[in-house]
Amino acid sequence: MKNLIFRYLNFRQILIINLLFLIVAVSFVFAISIGSYDISLKNYFEGNFSELDNVILKNIRIPRVLLAGFVGASLSVSGACLQGLFRNPLADPGLIGVSSGAALGAAISIVIGSEIFSSDIFAPYIVPFFAILGSVFVILILFIITNGFKNSGITYMLLAGIAINSLAGVGIGILTFISDDSELRGLTFWTMGSFGGVKWTLILPTIILILITIFWTFRFARKLDLIQLGETEAYRLGVNINKLKFNIIISSATIVGLGVSLAGMIGFVGLVIPHIVRLLGGVNHNYLLPASALLGAFLMIIADMISRVIIQPAELPVGLITSAIGAPFFLWLIFKIRKS
Amino acid sequence: MSIEVQNIFYEINNNQILKNVSLTIDTGKICSILGPNGSGKSTLVKVISGDIKPQNGFIFFNDRNLNDISIEDRAKIRSVMSQSQQIFFDFSVREIIEMGWIEENGMYSISDINESLQKVAKECEVFSLLDRRFNNLSGGEQRRVHFARTLIQLYNKIELNNKRYLILDEPTANLDLLHELKLIKKLKAKANEGFGVLIVLHDLNIAYNFSDQIALINNGEILHKGLPDDVISDEILTSIYRMPIKVDKQNKRINYY
Repeated sequence: MKNLIFRYLNFRQILIINLLFLIVAVSFVFAISIGSYDISLKNYFEGNFSELDNVILKNIRIPRVLLAGFVGASLSVSGACLQGLFRNPLADPGLIGVSSGAALGAAISIVIGSEIFSSDIFAPYIVPFFAILGSVFVILILFIITNGFKNSGITYMLLAGIAINSLAGVGIGILTFISDDSELRGLTFWTMGSFGGVKWTLILPTIILILITIFWTFRFARKLDLIQLGETEAYRLGVNINKLKFNIIISSATIVGLGVSLAGMIGFVGLVIPHIVRLLGGVNHNYLLPASALLGAFLMIIADMISRVIIQPAELPVGLITSAIGAPFFLWLIFKIRKS
Repeated sequence: MSIEVQNIFYEINNNQILKNVSLTIDTGKICSILGPNGSGKSTLVKVISGDIKPQNGFIFFNDRNLNDISIEDRAKIRSVMSQSQQIFFDFSVREIIEMGWIEENGMYSISDINESLQKVAKECEVFSLLDRRFNNLSGGEQRRVHFARTLIQLYNKIELNNKRYLILDEPTANLDLLHELKLIKKLKAKANEGFGVLIVLHDLNIAYNFSDQIALINNGEILHKGLPDDVISDEILTSIYRMPIKVDKQNKRINYY
């Protein structure tokens, strides 16, 4: 297995992946100690660590930074997979409408569900549950209208994604209109994305699922390379195209749905990270997928850290930061494509 | 060993593209398909490659029905070269050629791949291009790289050579005279190694001089097939191409202007 993953990597690419590992680890340590309440890790190792430090570190900081890292990784990997599958540098998890499906599901549960389930022990699971339901629903619609992902030329999927996105937009709009003040606040914050206030009980299963799915997608790296020659050529080289589409779309939707369900809408990460990774070391997917996961994790951890410290003690939604950086990059990309 | 094409009918929207086409492609030989534009040559290549399914008829690869051969296994017994699409991301030439390498559960080591890659690259004269970006190459250079990729697909397992096939749809498009001739000679050498070669050609002289078998196709029907000297004649070519064509059998030359 190791042989299969590493055989198409060159020395530079292996170096980049190892370096990315290192900076993810460093940024993790850095991020758990910085925030509106600074924690000195030096104190931790010297043994004079207060109870408050301990609680904040274990129950707030570590889960939050872990989640940020995994969501960053999952958005980036699914972006890289979809760009490869559709042979389109502008593809993004938002493209196939999964993010907005999850957003609509979450919005429904925030506005309507809060009255029904407010005192239940399942209350913390309601929003993520509905978000996943929303993304699954979108996948089902896509599955049906593309006849099992078979008739999915780039344009076809793109148009379906636009339709689904605007339908979800209508739903969220109506919900925003009928919501009261506190619901509106929850809704707004959620659509802008944030890693705050998520508990271990939710994070642990999520990151395990995300981790499994990301490693699952690595198996398709070579097939994603072959499909760059065109679907017919890849088919002639022994790639079962329909099966590949099915696997890639399902796994992308799973990791994005999971990520969005806990952290809200975080735009442009899936689009931007794979491009940076390609510029660093090459375009083959054996390198692109793991390196995108690592760089996505790193940048999301940093973005979340900025969101916590930039307007202390308040927090800026992390989705605003990623969009503020990502949108100009998107424009630059369009400009570059037009020139070439 | 051979590819047997039996009574193929293929139609799109009630439009008959192939009508009762039968053809045998033997290993160790070059079989050329000639015909005017729109005669069904490319469709026939697609049917034989397994890209599209005919409404009627059978295709057997070494006595096995094509429908019973898995997509993965097809890639091990035939490689196909056709007009290729634009590649969006910036792959290196080395990576493009490597894509032709068929994985078999990690049976081969990295050095196996590199060794074959270097040999094929030298054979196809793309060795000096290996570290260039594919998208920066000229059209002719890109064709040669795709040809190398088509060859490396059947490079391993020499003992299977006389059971495997190269299928090429106008491989010499975009090539200059020198490289066109080199590619054809390379195919001749491959046929001598035991491969069966099916090739769609436009150049009548090349087909006449280098083929072991020629099939002339027009309006979806194979009108004549057989040895070059039997099939190539003034009357046949003139009627198929609807222009005066003279064949000089002594010098093996076909003149059409």
